[in-house]
Amino acid sequence: MEFKEVVGRRRSIRFFEPDKPVEREKIQVILETARLASCAVNAHWLRAIVVERDKIPAEKLNQLKTPVAAMTLDLAPVHIYFFCDLGIVKKIQGSRLRELVDVGALAPTHSWSQKFVDEFVYPQILEPMTNNLQGYLAAAMADCGGAAQNALLAAFDEGLGACLNTPNPMLTKQVFGVPEEWVSLWVMLVGYPAESWEAGGQRPRPPFEELYFEGDMNTPFKRDESVVEKLKASKMITRPAPIPERKQEILQLAERLNLPM
Amino acid sequence: MNEEQVARGQEQGARLEESATVRSWVDGLREQWGEEPADMSARIETLAQFCRLVERDPDAIIAECVREVEGGKRIRIKKRRFYSEMIDEFEASLDGDARTQARSGNVVRSFMIHNGIFMQGGVSG
Repeated sequence: MEFKEVVGRRRSIRFFEPDKPVEREKIQVILETARLASCAVNAHWLRAIVVERDKIPAEKLNQLKTPVAAMTLDLAPVHIYFFCDLGIVKKIQGSRLRELVDVGALAPTHSWSQKFVDEFVYPQILEPMTNNLQGYLAAAMADCGGAAQNALLAAFDEGLGACLNTPNPMLTKQVFGVPEEWVSLWVMLVGYPAESWEAGGQRPRPPFEELYFEGDMNTPFKRDESVVEKLKASKMITRPAPIPERKQEILQLAERLNLPM
Repeated sequence: MNEEQVARGQEQGARLEESATVRSWVDGLREQWGEEPADMSARIETLAQFCRLVERDPDAIIAECVREVEGGKRIRIKKRRFYSEMIDEFEASLDGDARTQARSGNVVRSFMIHNGIFMQGGVSG
């Protein structure tokens, strides 16, 4: 699938085929894609634990359910729990940043050198950053979010459906016994969609000009309608919700999966 | 169920229709799906059956699940969990296969949902 179409087809899928297994290869593709996300100082904070719903003991699965996500956890055959490993920066001490210098991704043309990383970046920026939890969390989480978004898009490119949910962080850490410095982030539920790919249509979004600006925060970035038309042609902007057949689709799904209405 | 029980159930169902939370439920279904479900009377009878099990009327069930605080309503977690478990118990007490039982449980969940009480069931059959 072309990139723009993948973006255009991504939805938070909440109806999965509960008994249709997901190929292990596709899960690996999702993880490989997350690993290639952009990442500040090449630290790679994101960790993932993949769980096959039918292989996790029932009592653990029940512990992981939140009131809002219980149903989707039951429906999705694969759950990927994402964590942020806050211990990584102190563990690698700038070594992965140094790798970027070694391979020429960071070059003296932009003032980068081994000495700069060893004597300045790690001891004077990265290490102190880890002691300011608020700032550190914001930086680390932003990178985790980017990697998770890559993972989401990969799922759709593989013909799967997926959505991110927020699990109970304390219980998630307890169930998986992860280190103290891992922060529980999201669970990505993965499976074959039981709903149509449109899943009710592209979700409503705030107006473009309310979100993006040009030069200063008072000047909306002008949206060029010809670009919008091109994006429609390339299937990135798709039929917006609500679509007329959605209610009937939900009724049929509720009937088939025996869900409340 | 004998004729007397059916008649009593229908009478109770008629009374339930008058309660505020049942009216909210019916209105919610109508708003969500564009029309009132054709089997609404049967649904209300199922709710009446559940009410007998928990020995509460519909308004009391919802009132128990909610508390008023400054700035709005809050759902009582323990009560929500209690009724979730009671719905499971209700399903198990019914005749029929798991799917049929879950269908009746889902009627009660629907009543809770359309009264603003978050209530998910498991997946069955």
